[in-house]
Amino acid sequence: MNINFKHEWIETNIGLLAVLTMLAISVGGLVEIAPLFFINKTIEKVDGVRPYTPLEQRGRDIYQREGCYLCHSQMIRPFRDEKLRYGHYSLAAESQYDHPFQWGSKRTGPDLARVGGKYSNEWQVQHLIAPRSMVPESVMPNFPWLKTTLLDTSDITDRMKALRKVGVPYSLTDAEYKANVDKFGETVAKQLHIPNAQLSLIAQANFGNYDGDRSNITEMDALVAYLQVLGTMVDFSKYKDDAFVNDR
Amino acid sequence: MDLLMWFSKPENTKPLGLVIFFVTFIGIVIYAYGSKKRSAQLESYRNIPFLDDQEDTKDKQ
Amino acid sequence: MAVTTYSGAEQYNFEIVKKFAVMSIVWAVIGMFVGVYIASELAWPFLNFDSPYISFGRFRPVHTTSVIFGFGGSALFATSYYVVQRTCQTRLISDGMASFTFWGWMAAIALADISYMLGHTQSREYAEMEWPIDILIEVVWVAYLAVFVGTIMRRKQPHIYVANWFYLAFILATALLHTFNNLAMPINLFSMQSYSLFSGVQDAMTEWWYGHNAVGFFLTVAFLGMMYYFVPKQAGRPIYSYRLSIVHFWALGFMYMWVGAHHLHWTALPDWTSSLAAAFSILLLMPSWGGMINGIMTLSGAWDKLRTDPIMRFMIVALSFYGMSTFEGPMMSLKEVNALSHYTDWTVGHVHSGTLGWLSMITFGSLYHMMPKLWETKMYSRKLIEWHFWLATIGIVLYIVAMWISGITQGLMWRAFDQFGNLQYSFVESVAAMHPFYAMRAIGGMFFLVGMIMMAFNVFMTIRQGKRESAELEAKLAAKLAHA
Repeated sequence: MNINFKHEWIETNIGLLAVLTMLAISVGGLVEIAPLFFINKTIEKVDGVRPYTPLEQRGRDIYQREGCYLCHSQMIRPFRDEKLRYGHYSLAAESQYDHPFQWGSKRTGPDLARVGGKYSNEWQVQHLIAPRSMVPESVMPNFPWLKTTLLDTSDITDRMKALRKVGVPYSLTDAEYKANVDKFGETVAKQLHIPNAQLSLIAQANFGNYDGDRSNITEMDALVAYLQVLGTMVDFSKYKDDAFVNDR
Repeated sequence: MDLLMWFSKPENTKPLGLVIFFVTFIGIVIYAYGSKKRSAQLESYRNIPFLDDQEDTKDKQ
Repeated sequence: MAVTTYSGAEQYNFEIVKKFAVMSIVWAVIGMFVGVYIASELAWPFLNFDSPYISFGRFRPVHTTSVIFGFGGSALFATSYYVVQRTCQTRLISDGMASFTFWGWMAAIALADISYMLGHTQSREYAEMEWPIDILIEVVWVAYLAVFVGTIMRRKQPHIYVANWFYLAFILATALLHTFNNLAMPINLFSMQSYSLFSGVQDAMTEWWYGHNAVGFFLTVAFLGMMYYFVPKQAGRPIYSYRLSIVHFWALGFMYMWVGAHHLHWTALPDWTSSLAAAFSILLLMPSWGGMINGIMTLSGAWDKLRTDPIMRFMIVALSFYGMSTFEGPMMSLKEVNALSHYTDWTVGHVHSGTLGWLSMITFGSLYHMMPKLWETKMYSRKLIEWHFWLATIGIVLYIVAMWISGITQGLMWRAFDQFGNLQYSFVESVAAMHPFYAMRAIGGMFFLVGMIMMAFNVFMTIRQGKRESAELEAKLAAKLAHA
């Protein structure tokens, strides 16, 4: 280092001050974030995780829109009490197609990472419309408009194309479709095919009948479809208890 | 890529972070408190906020 | 040293400072009202009124955006424009650009608040604005940087005062954070909706790198800039140690960026990242306390001011809360403590001890100091300042105590086992146990809001008084000239 260094150089030179400040503040972010994109171990190898179907993705959009993430986390921590209450701790792989992530930061309500299949569709619908009719002590807002608002499906292909651009393997070409068939199986691959999006959305809503009313497709259909798939993609009975220990 | 992989290992990054931080920090401390003359010079800048006062002195709330 | 003759409004652009200062108070009243409202929704859920627009999930970002960016942001624009002009003894480089930052910033916050209520959100905490608003903010921010740096470049004072370093670090860091956290793909050019460029674990890390550094740079470093100018000015004596401020500046700037991952302890984030963050969080205590000591010791030898000067009291209490929450923060970033505190109200309490106790109080002090100078008068009522101080202090204490108790209770109830090794409480039992504390928190917030409304009234009357006085002065001068 130059012995004649003077802090005054910095203090009297706005450019130098700016550059050095920028340098000081950039190191931390670079060292912590950049490697996450390159380490193979960041995301575990696990079977079953697939992108959301068009209907589930629309449900996820509504989950975001209503700000559910502000009171419900989707990230189970590796503690005994959380295992008993919510199930196996969350894997990074399980949110690999989540743009954006919905891990949350607050549990005013319980964690939802594995809520899929825990309650019936009917329970979910009634609970969303009037939570206190099911759980008297709840402080959750009522969401009656979900049941009465028809789901806007007009932009579903735009949405899937945008997600495809950021890396979700929705297929647009035959080659991509075939790759999906190999990776996720034919049933799933069909639902991930963008040209079929509208049809497969309607088919899933009619088949699943999530809001208990087959005459139309509402936002409730989509949201319940999303809630019911949460945490159900990985079959943990296929893995040993300590299968993921080394990935942390 | 190899460099980034090197950074990804905690056994590398932890001491590295510590060394970088510590050396810089000690450097700044030595600089700021090392010499009496420099100290006096630095402390003279404390008065800058008061340099453009004229009206301030008479009606302090 | 160059000492220029002081000629107030002609020499400096105070118009822009006035505009931002007034709007910061307006946003504070709006944002804190919404805050009290959503706190009440948690205590008494019927207040959601089955309306999508004001249901908790959509209304909460309105609160955070209005207070952080509306109140805090405007106060930072106001004070930074004031401080940079007065410590460089020069006028802002461009009145037009400064005016653009004002209208751009106001538009961004108003649009953001409205768009949340209509259901447009990126669902990234404290960065919920959708992509068109993000672009507007980016443009405004570049203009802000240009005005600030441009003004420093034409300074008449050779040395750049320490407060300006802090403001500069805040502007640069915010630009960096805002840009990288908001990378997203719009679904089409005419839609507000977009999807984040990153997913899952990378997205979480980016968001909390942003989230914590928004606290670090927007809500701490910038307000330290405020502290370094207004505390010495109000105390009438220079800052305690300039050398300490140098050490503290570089240490704080360097270390803050490392700590974001402590928001993601025990999650699917790789362990090394959160351990590193925890280590730096502990280290961060030192520069934080360096800043606090520097501020408080400025008053050494003039402690009697605490009894006589309510503005000084705001500032010193602010610094005390700064010291307290920068101790609490590193403690909560220890993994063992975090296992209990994370996901609970304790975090909410911690944030508010920082935002209400430190940021709001230092801002109130600075605004009370600056407002009379801008309108060349005295504050309308000293009594109201006293009242504001006590209401705010009581409000904060109620708020924090309620959140401590409820947070720790929640954490303990969730992990309690009965004698057979089963969970002792269902989740909803913990929700029911929170009710009294949620009510207490809402009441604490109301105290704070009432104090804020008093300040708004006091400032309104001060401005009227200032305008009347200057009109009278002009009339007198005109009369004298007519007689002569």
